[in-house]
Amino acid sequence: MRSRMVAASDTVFFSGHTMKVAGFFLLGLASVFSVQRDNFRTCDNVGFCKRHRALEPGTSSYAASASSMKLNPTSVSLDVLEKKSDVKFTLTIFGLKDNTFRIRLEEKDAMRKRYEPPVGDVLIKVPEGEELKYNGQSGNQLTFNKGTSRVVLTTEPLRIDVYSDDDPVISINSQGLLKFEHTRPKPEAPPAENQDEENKEEAQEGEEEQQKEEEVKEEEVKAEPEEPDMWEETFKSHTDSKPFGPTSIGVDISFPGVEHVYGIPEHADSLALKTTKTTDPYRLYNLDVFEYDLYNPMALYGAVPLMLAHNEKRTVGVFWLNAAETWVDISSNVADKSIFSNLADFVTGNNEIPQTDTHWFSESGVIDVFLMLGPGPKDVFRQYAALTGTTPLPPLFSISYHQCRWNYNDQDDVRTVDENFDKFDIPYDVIWLDIEHTDGKRYFTWDAAKFPNSIEMLRNISSKGRKMVTIVDPHLKRDDNYKVFAEARDKGLLIKNKDGGDFDGWCWPGSSGWPDFLEKHVRDWWADKFSASEYVGSAPNLYVWNDMNEPSVFNAPEITVNRDIKHLGGWENREVHNIYGMYVHEATMDGLLKRTNYQERAFVLTRAFFAGTQRTAAVWTGDNMGEWSHLKISNPMIMSLNLVGITFSGADVGGFFRNPDNELVTRWYQAGAFQPFFRAHAHLDTKRREPYLLPDENVKVIREAIRARYTYLPYWYTEFFTSEKDGAAVMRPLWVEFPKEKATFGIDDNYMIGSALLVRPVTDQGATNANVYFPGAGEVWYDVETYQTYKGQQEVNVQAPLSKIPVYQKGGTIIPRKMRPRRSSTLMFDDPFTLVVALDPKQEANGQLFIDDYRTFKYRDGAYGFIKYSFTSHKLHSNVEHQGSGFTTKEWLERVIVVGLPHEPRKVTLHQSGQTKELIFTYDSTTHVLIIRKPGVNILQNWTISLH
Amino acid sequence: MFYKLLLILSLSFFAQAAERPRGVSSAKASFYQPGKDFKCLTSGETVPWEFVNDDYCDCKDGTDEPGTSACANGFFFCENRGHRGSYIISSRVNDGICDCCDGSDEFDEKIKCGNTCDEIGRKEREEREAFRQLQEQGYKIKQEYMQQGKRAKDEKRARLSELEKQMAELTAARDEIQTRKDEVEAPETEAKERHQKAWEELKAARQAEKDRVKAAHAFAELDANRDNVVDYPEMQKHLEFDIDSDGTVSVEEAREYLDDSDGVDLAKFQDKIWTNIKDIYKPPAEAQETKEALPDEDVATGSQDEEDRGEDSAKPKEAGEEEEKMPPYDEETQKLIEAADVVRKEYDEAADKVKDAENEVNGLKKYLEVDYGPDEEFSALRDQCFELTDREYTYKLCAFDKSSQRPKAGGIETSLGKWGHWYGPEEDKYDAMKYENGQSCWNGPSRSTHVNLHCGVENKLTGASEPSRCEYQFEFTTPARCKQPEPVTGQHQHTEL
Repeated sequence: MRSRMVAASDTVFFSGHTMKVAGFFLLGLASVFSVQRDNFRTCDNVGFCKRHRALEPGTSSYAASASSMKLNPTSVSLDVLEKKSDVKFTLTIFGLKDNTFRIRLEEKDAMRKRYEPPVGDVLIKVPEGEELKYNGQSGNQLTFNKGTSRVVLTTEPLRIDVYSDDDPVISINSQGLLKFEHTRPKPEAPPAENQDEENKEEAQEGEEEQQKEEEVKEEEVKAEPEEPDMWEETFKSHTDSKPFGPTSIGVDISFPGVEHVYGIPEHADSLALKTTKTTDPYRLYNLDVFEYDLYNPMALYGAVPLMLAHNEKRTVGVFWLNAAETWVDISSNVADKSIFSNLADFVTGNNEIPQTDTHWFSESGVIDVFLMLGPGPKDVFRQYAALTGTTPLPPLFSISYHQCRWNYNDQDDVRTVDENFDKFDIPYDVIWLDIEHTDGKRYFTWDAAKFPNSIEMLRNISSKGRKMVTIVDPHLKRDDNYKVFAEARDKGLLIKNKDGGDFDGWCWPGSSGWPDFLEKHVRDWWADKFSASEYVGSAPNLYVWNDMNEPSVFNAPEITVNRDIKHLGGWENREVHNIYGMYVHEATMDGLLKRTNYQERAFVLTRAFFAGTQRTAAVWTGDNMGEWSHLKISNPMIMSLNLVGITFSGADVGGFFRNPDNELVTRWYQAGAFQPFFRAHAHLDTKRREPYLLPDENVKVIREAIRARYTYLPYWYTEFFTSEKDGAAVMRPLWVEFPKEKATFGIDDNYMIGSALLVRPVTDQGATNANVYFPGAGEVWYDVETYQTYKGQQEVNVQAPLSKIPVYQKGGTIIPRKMRPRRSSTLMFDDPFTLVVALDPKQEANGQLFIDDYRTFKYRDGAYGFIKYSFTSHKLHSNVEHQGSGFTTKEWLERVIVVGLPHEPRKVTLHQSGQTKELIFTYDSTTHVLIIRKPGVNILQNWTISLH
Repeated sequence: MFYKLLLILSLSFFAQAAERPRGVSSAKASFYQPGKDFKCLTSGETVPWEFVNDDYCDCKDGTDEPGTSACANGFFFCENRGHRGSYIISSRVNDGICDCCDGSDEFDEKIKCGNTCDEIGRKEREEREAFRQLQEQGYKIKQEYMQQGKRAKDEKRARLSELEKQMAELTAARDEIQTRKDEVEAPETEAKERHQKAWEELKAARQAEKDRVKAAHAFAELDANRDNVVDYPEMQKHLEFDIDSDGTVSVEEAREYLDDSDGVDLAKFQDKIWTNIKDIYKPPAEAQETKEALPDEDVATGSQDEEDRGEDSAKPKEAGEEEEKMPPYDEETQKLIEAADVVRKEYDEAADKVKDAENEVNGLKKYLEVDYGPDEEFSALRDQCFELTDREYTYKLCAFDKSSQRPKAGGIETSLGKWGHWYGPEEDKYDAMKYENGQSCWNGPSRSTHVNLHCGVENKLTGASEPSRCEYQFEFTTPARCKQPEPVTGQHQHTEL
């Protein structure tokens, strides 16, 4: 929801004093206007980041022992020796189903177990193996085959090359940057000595001989020199005790033939990732960043360590399964053709073969990498989905429009907002309450003076099919009289500080404690708090929003918990940091589902996230700003989330901070209406900007934008249904749909919803035109309002006055819509459909529709309808592919619009169950649009409409 | 009798309602002729009669589907017998929510709507009656306000024009006296200055003599060996001559104060040395005190420094001799002063009259430039303040002046705005007031208050809220907002049906 000034300036007001108070105050003020960067560590402030980044490409000191090889049906393991330290590791290569490999490197005789997310939490299950065939040794290379792919393991220096259909696609440790900091005892006379030596060295600068001697000596004693920050690090006024010393891991991963890599959210950056030569690496460390900057690799609220690499021929994915702080360096290079002779085949007319090198390093954990070999983008989506799961079909209300503000002050305020939406005839489904609704930021409670009868309020909005979302953050106010806190403390459910006491940090309520959501019993305890008896004043139409779950701690380093705090299972936060937030929303979702004994679907929104978040929450991009640049960045940010499985995601419409002008608010609504999660939100200090408060002209445009969203709900809903099965992005970069079209690889202001809709939101102030890239050679695109046609594979400057959202339907697709505007999506359940049949140049089109009760899990028992539509040879066929026993609907077919039909038919007939009926139609010969009037059939039926 | 009439009316409506399509009002019934092609009411297309209310939108203006939700731009007429007929937008037909009080908008079995028209109608009539009575009572008071307001305005206008006339006379009178005043003050001033100057000269001579005596005292003290020469070793004993503050007075430092000589006699001391050292030199007792204070000075902060400086600057006054009084003016001067005093008093009286008149004019103008409504009815609120206390704050509205809040628990008052302007919609601008440019919000706008005015029998602040940060909203009732109630007639029901 938001961060606050307190954090941005805590050290400012409490560290300095006396003489220069005025100067410090000015600094504090400055922080209002942008992120206070020095609150966050750069690579230079992070010991392990410096150590890994300092490595130069060269010969790896790691070597595998071929003689130690143990072959299993679906995996192979070998011993690996780090030759300088003599430390042994185990390397395992797994063959997994669906063109996937897994590569693990663990320390063989570790002094302390390293954290790995339990199976079931990130990975939905132990991934299914597939036979890995040993294909013999040639020199120092061992080859393993699986289907049309193979892994070539070079034993010394250790290196792994993965080939798909004989093309090299991924190389690991080809640059020799592998570094696995083994567990070790704390040195007797620790870093201080080294520091002295360093000082000495500095003092004796120029005395090269002696220095050399020292280096030699050191190498003899131990390969890894102890560095001052290995056993303790400080940042600002905070000291990290690091009792287990250095534990970081890292390795390089290269993509020969690839120029474009994507993913590894969350960053406020372009869709295609940039080389990090002149910046910090992309950082993955869940943080609450106040007024974040754009176009830089700083960490934000969530982390998914999944990268997609793409070229005209192939898409591959690399999933780095690690919950600790992770950094990724990216550089673009040229491939070494001597090794990859095959590469030349697919990069023609170019002397150099491009290659993208990446370098991944994490503060702890093991090296555990999944290689998904595609070959198409949608194959990678499916392969990753098999590992971490998909977004379950959201209840219809949750993909509708959400109205939020920090804060709707009281019940009257809620009622007034609700009534105004109806008065101005603007649909909305969910009204939200931020932190001020609670009794002193004690979540699960209500401010009794402002919300004396929340049940009645919830009933009132429920009468229009609407819902409410209240905020529930993971910090619990330290107050003995606050039951949730007292219970958590007494039952020992809170995370501990490094000395074993309950961790005490500051957040909204002041001094707070945090339940340790890593523990199943804590999550179960939390889930029970959402029951009607525990969450007094709640109702079945109340859903929940988890904010500040990075977790955000105002007075701790980088505004999050200290790395050395202890979780109940004995882990330090440094080992599990990025996964904490996911456990929070998982427990919350479980609580909401429990209320109906897992019958009704629910909705949870989260700010922090990790790989697997998609299974239990929607995500928004946190505290953005009401500025054009932030509207623009929302598209690549949400697309990046979609690429890593978090399909149900969005950005605060209007921008959280600042007061956007009317034009910006309007354009933002138009963009949000075509993004998966559609919620307006605003900071406490902003002026009210509910759509009906704007000038008439803007109200009109916003009403149309929101209504447009509602008309496309059947399409969104069907896309979410199919995405639950195949893990595909719902909001897709153009290259996902047109993977061979290189011009699309860098585009992130146009995108696709599913395979049929192309959207180009206007994100520039004062714009009356927009450049739209229409992809696809031989494709045709139709403006969804005017039916104007555009040929594929060209950029066109289109008219885009304030009232216009440039949205296009691809020729060859059929989109189901519901054209009757209602107050909420619930009121549309029984409404009839309109099918928009957009013909391709061959006069064909296909589409599909998923329907169910729009709210329960019964679809999982088959209680749904799935209908395929196809238009070919002047006939539109409705083919019910699935109709669960007992599932019926009142929804019917109101109208069919056929776009791109060159000639007016003489006659249109409907054929159903042997009966034929003539249908009335109109045809517009200038737009080539045929509108067929009222076929009137129930939507869940087979029929054919013929054009004669 | 009344009920009978109602019954007959209802029956006749029933008959007609069966004829015309669902959702059509009686006023528009004639456009819908069963069996005949239907002409869309404003967009003009013609469709077969079967297309009317067949749940498919054919007319661009949506008029072929008055009784279904098929047209996004259509309207459905609720009969609402017992209450009042009204239109709802078509999208509210058969959406599962009872919008018409007679339930006629929901007929597809999704929901069963009761008929609440009687109840609502009664309630509304009661409310209307209560409001009518409120208006009536309020309007009586308003009429008084109007009278008062008009009278006040007339009086103030009259007074203003009177004052404006008087002003010229008063100013002229004052100016005439001013001339005389200048004439008598000139010789007075000259005589006084003369006297003053003589006195200053005398004082200077006395001061010089005193200084020489002081110098002699100092000489005697400094001249430790009493050889009638103050030499540099004697100076070195006085730490106040430590120019570079290194803790000792060096030979050079001592000699510098002695005009670069080894020693001076009394005459030279009085003539040349004393002037340079008199501000530095400290008699033995005082020098001792300073020494003891020294260590503290090392840790002194800026603010303490300031205090010290304050003491220093206070010292000369303390030590200074009592100011000698100037001798009285001579008789001649005294007479001139007395003569001038008479004219001055005369002048002050005249000038006060002008100022009083000006103040009154400004007050009147300030009053008159405010718009107190078409009939001056809001003038009754002027110079009145109203308070409302909620959980946290006491809000205050001073009409046509300012709005403010202060914490209930006590504390300073925060300005929520100064009177700005009427803020109602164009057609009824006296519906609301705006107070603006209050105290600035940190990182935000300056506070402002939007006051909604409602008819009420008393002037009362009834609500205060802050819908957006620093933008306050007050609710205020006043008789000044009450309208003259319409006369009650029995025909009211008829027109509605």
